[in-house]
Amino acid sequence: MADQARAILNADPMLSRFDPLPRIIYHDDFNRGLRGWVELIGNFEDSLDSMLPQYADMRPPMLSSGTHWDTGTHGAMQGTYSMKLATRARAGDISVSIKRVTWRHRGPVRLEAYFTFKPEASELQLSVDDVRAVGVLFDLQDEAYRWMPHWRYLNALEGEPVRSWQFKREREPFHDIGGRAETVSHFHLAPTGWENVPDSGQILCYNEVATKFNWYYLRMDLDLASRQITHLQCNDRVHDVTDVGPMMIPAMPNLDCMLNVAFWVETDVDKRAFLYVDSVLLSGEW
Amino acid sequence: MLRESYTAIVERSEELRGDFATEPYECGWAGEAIFFVRILEREGNLEGISLHVQISPDGIRWCDEGTSVALGEEEVAFCKVVHFGNWLRLSGRLPDGASIRAIIALSLKA
Repeated sequence: MADQARAILNADPMLSRFDPLPRIIYHDDFNRGLRGWVELIGNFEDSLDSMLPQYADMRPPMLSSGTHWDTGTHGAMQGTYSMKLATRARAGDISVSIKRVTWRHRGPVRLEAYFTFKPEASELQLSVDDVRAVGVLFDLQDEAYRWMPHWRYLNALEGEPVRSWQFKREREPFHDIGGRAETVSHFHLAPTGWENVPDSGQILCYNEVATKFNWYYLRMDLDLASRQITHLQCNDRVHDVTDVGPMMIPAMPNLDCMLNVAFWVETDVDKRAFLYVDSVLLSGEW
Repeated sequence: MLRESYTAIVERSEELRGDFATEPYECGWAGEAIFFVRILEREGNLEGISLHVQISPDGIRWCDEGTSVALGEEEVAFCKVVHFGNWLRLSGRLPDGASIRAIIALSLKA
């Protein structure tokens, strides 16, 4: 980036902590509302009952002040509000929020975000293994392929700490929805088929109590032209992406130029898990 | 400045029976709220049944706010609430043999 452009970013406290590509597609600071982030819902026809059951209840996002029983309002990294995703208090439950746009140039894009995650502070225990995973995914389509980069931090599984970054390229089966042969659906967030990224282990700053937040930086770069994941980073850790790939699906009807981003959180125990996103910036190069 | 508003679907078509409550919803930024209850299916006797607004200091412990919404014969019922702090939920108790499937929308405005 040119020195002058960087200087302009540095002059803005809301932008100086990001490293965007030249065009900002969106910059969502949740002190200004939920800004187009919405609960993910599965496809359906005629009745909600036609939906794949895994998609029936992915919970609406909230504007959270990070308020707790012991210390009151924690606030966000900047300002008071972050976007909060909350699961139900049921092991394996997932909450997903998505933002849907389209791309205008098939080139590099970069997603950056500041986030943290915590279990509900319903017990006076460390609870560091209660959140199973948090993740981010893209859902993209060009003239030949729908492709879906998935990246998650597997914090714990069935009570055991894992603390590893994973990706998923294995496709899940498609199912017909309804009776008119117009709609299909696949549950791409299924627990199967995840693979460790190289050098996948990373200990994040959980801190020592469920009510203490430390915010993390996340960056994921893609090249829409070559359909490749080009950069994965959390805080100071950059992963080798040489052998990291997305799910690849032949292009589907009605999804032209799709550029969707989704965040999710999954709980490992019968306790709510929370993902907090302070801010998100999606940028592109053209 | 436009007034911020947001509608959250806090319950969508899951069968509700016995004692139940919607999931906690954080909305301290809002100054007013309406719970809309759209009943998709009903079973058993719902006569005299109301759902109750609850508030919370922490999203974990709950108390009745005092406002309720009566489930009548209409498809959609609602109640309004103001001055509710940081969390809202709706709780209810259905008699034995009764159940509903509903879309419960929480419409919030700053």
